[in-house]
Amino acid sequence: MDILIIGLNHKSAEIGEREAVSKKLLTVELRQEFTDRLLGLKDENGRSFVKEAVVLTTCNRSEFIMNLSSWAHGKGGHIIKNYIAKYFFGDAAEENIFYMYLNEDAARHLFSVASSLDSMIIGEPQILGQLKEAYNEACKFKKSGRFLNKLFHKAFNCAKTVRTETRIAASPVSVSYAAVELSKKIFNSLDEKKVLLLGAGEMGKLTVKHFIKNGVRNIYIANRTKENADKFVEESFAASEREYLNVIDFSEYYKLLPQSDIVLCSTGSEGYVLKYADILPVIKIRKQKPLFLIDISMPRNIDPEINKIPNVYLFDIDDIGKMIEGNIEIRKQEADAAKEFVETAVKDFMSWKESLNVVPVIISLRKKVKDILEIELSGYINDKKEKDLVINSLTNKILHEPTMLIKKASANPEGSNSIETLKALFNLDSEDPTGGDKRGEDENACKYIKLIK
Amino acid sequence: MLKELYLIPVAIYIFSYIPFLFKEKKVYKVFLSLIYTGFAVQTSIFFIFLSVKGLTMPVHIDRFVFFNAWILMFIVVLFGIFYKADYILLYITPLVALNLLVGFFVPHVHIKPDMLNTDRTILLTHIILILIGDSLFALAFIVSLIYIFQERKIKNKKNLKILDTNSGRGYNLELLDNINYQCLKIGFPFITLGIVMGLYLSGSLFRTFIVVKPIEIMSLITWLIYAVLLHERVAKGLRGKRAAIFSVAGFLLILFSLSFSFYLFPSFHGFE
Repeated sequence: MDILIIGLNHKSAEIGEREAVSKKLLTVELRQEFTDRLLGLKDENGRSFVKEAVVLTTCNRSEFIMNLSSWAHGKGGHIIKNYIAKYFFGDAAEENIFYMYLNEDAARHLFSVASSLDSMIIGEPQILGQLKEAYNEACKFKKSGRFLNKLFHKAFNCAKTVRTETRIAASPVSVSYAAVELSKKIFNSLDEKKVLLLGAGEMGKLTVKHFIKNGVRNIYIANRTKENADKFVEESFAASEREYLNVIDFSEYYKLLPQSDIVLCSTGSEGYVLKYADILPVIKIRKQKPLFLIDISMPRNIDPEINKIPNVYLFDIDDIGKMIEGNIEIRKQEADAAKEFVETAVKDFMSWKESLNVVPVIISLRKKVKDILEIELSGYINDKKEKDLVINSLTNKILHEPTMLIKKASANPEGSNSIETLKALFNLDSEDPTGGDKRGEDENACKYIKLIK
Repeated sequence: MLKELYLIPVAIYIFSYIPFLFKEKKVYKVFLSLIYTGFAVQTSIFFIFLSVKGLTMPVHIDRFVFFNAWILMFIVVLFGIFYKADYILLYITPLVALNLLVGFFVPHVHIKPDMLNTDRTILLTHIILILIGDSLFALAFIVSLIYIFQERKIKNKKNLKILDTNSGRGYNLELLDNINYQCLKIGFPFITLGIVMGLYLSGSLFRTFIVVKPIEIMSLITWLIYAVLLHERVAKGLRGKRAAIFSVAGFLLILFSLSFSFYLFPSFHGFE
């Protein structure tokens, strides 16, 4: 049993190369076809290299997480990498854009990916969901077995620990998210608040989506060309989101200002759309209720002097940018702390993996001792129940210390020699404890993932 | 002897800040549990006093200071639960602990007013009403200070990196302003009634309603500040930083008149 991860991400490959791979893994069918190909890879003696496989594909990475057959001992890595490069690019020379991790490095990589330490934006929450989906798919199509189940569960636990024990995901690092977080510093609840969006740009869209997610139900959109605003709403928002959006004529936005609590400005205008003199009467009509203005346009569309008016809070793209910069720095610092949790998880997993190697030896040894006792005692004890009890008790007593020593040896890299000696001494024949090629048998593991999803 | 009991909640309140020395994530929960424990102890002591003595005059002056600390904590706990803003406890608890310490060190003397039984009841009610009103204004004061600092941080866009979901949770301006307003709305009638009773007692003791004692001038100025603030809030929608500054000024005047009347110049209040 060896874990092998082959993949490419934003660090190792250009966007075009990542696109080429993700296009061939776009649908469930395509992914399953490729997984079947991986599982079908055989050596010259007809033995499969890969026992279990999970395919993860996101906008920034495509990875193939595999459990290799015990005979392969990681030797098949380069053959598989070569095959993958040929499959996606038709040329094995492209294999250098793929990275490859084996065993401990692979576990460390997967745990880091799950904990969002390897993401383009450290701490982003989507990757964990994507990893769970990939694993779920593998479970559904019975491409994952006990070994990868354990590996993925460990990865999910590690990600959870990192998220709860560090502040890696606490601070906003996108403009839209930061805008919503800032408004929470001014308003108690966003449910009753009115948002006015001036202009119909991409940043405005993302911010409005975030506001909807955070409970805002009254959003007005004003654009110089009303048709464009209608089109923008139609194309950018789902039906469930559209019910909270109202497109208004651009000439009417000023009338709406006194009722609006949050104004988002992202027009393409070259001058100020909102001037100091416009807001001064508005805040009086609002009876000094706070007004939050977010200027995400370049050049700026809101006069910065407005921030001097009491109870008016203006943030432009630069202010939010500085805030995000600080938060990215915090995330980087937190990532260092998170790596310690990853290392602990890797250590745990590797010791579990090592202990798997000795389980068949222990089972065989116990069986051998039991068989001998069975033969020797059958002449003396007739009652089967009593005989079994004595055999079990004696086996436990005889093998207690050797079992402890075997387990200890398994944690030691040089311990394999002692285990081999033991096998030779007692003529033991061990079986594969992970159940050979039996994939998808661990139904409970998949159910667990469905639940936590 | 019972005065020593004040030190138990004081010790718990001081101890509750120790977890902050450790940078653990659950520190805040531990802090809250300890604060609530301290408050439970404080409440038990309050009921012990009630069961021993009941609500009658004469009363030791330290009991009033203790009652002040208890009612302040009670109000903050109530507001904290109602507005889901238990972080106020973080700032108000030192005030409560200080109050309890003052209660412990203050001389164990009786307020023995030479007056009729009815007037004694009115005096007791006067003290209780003023203390409840003052406690509400104390909360408004703390909340206003938080508001002023938080508002400044947002306006100046400085230290923005700490404006994240964890460290800044709950410190939103709207909620702080709302708590300030509620304290004013509830506290003002208490203070008004308390002052009216004080005027009545003054009339009863000195045979005239308006004896120009410094406490009366100070009380009226304080009352006027809060009256103007309430009027401006209701009629003109005054809110935000200006309202917070008003609250701070009003409470500073209260502190000034209270310390003058009790500790520095008892004659200031008309005590001889």
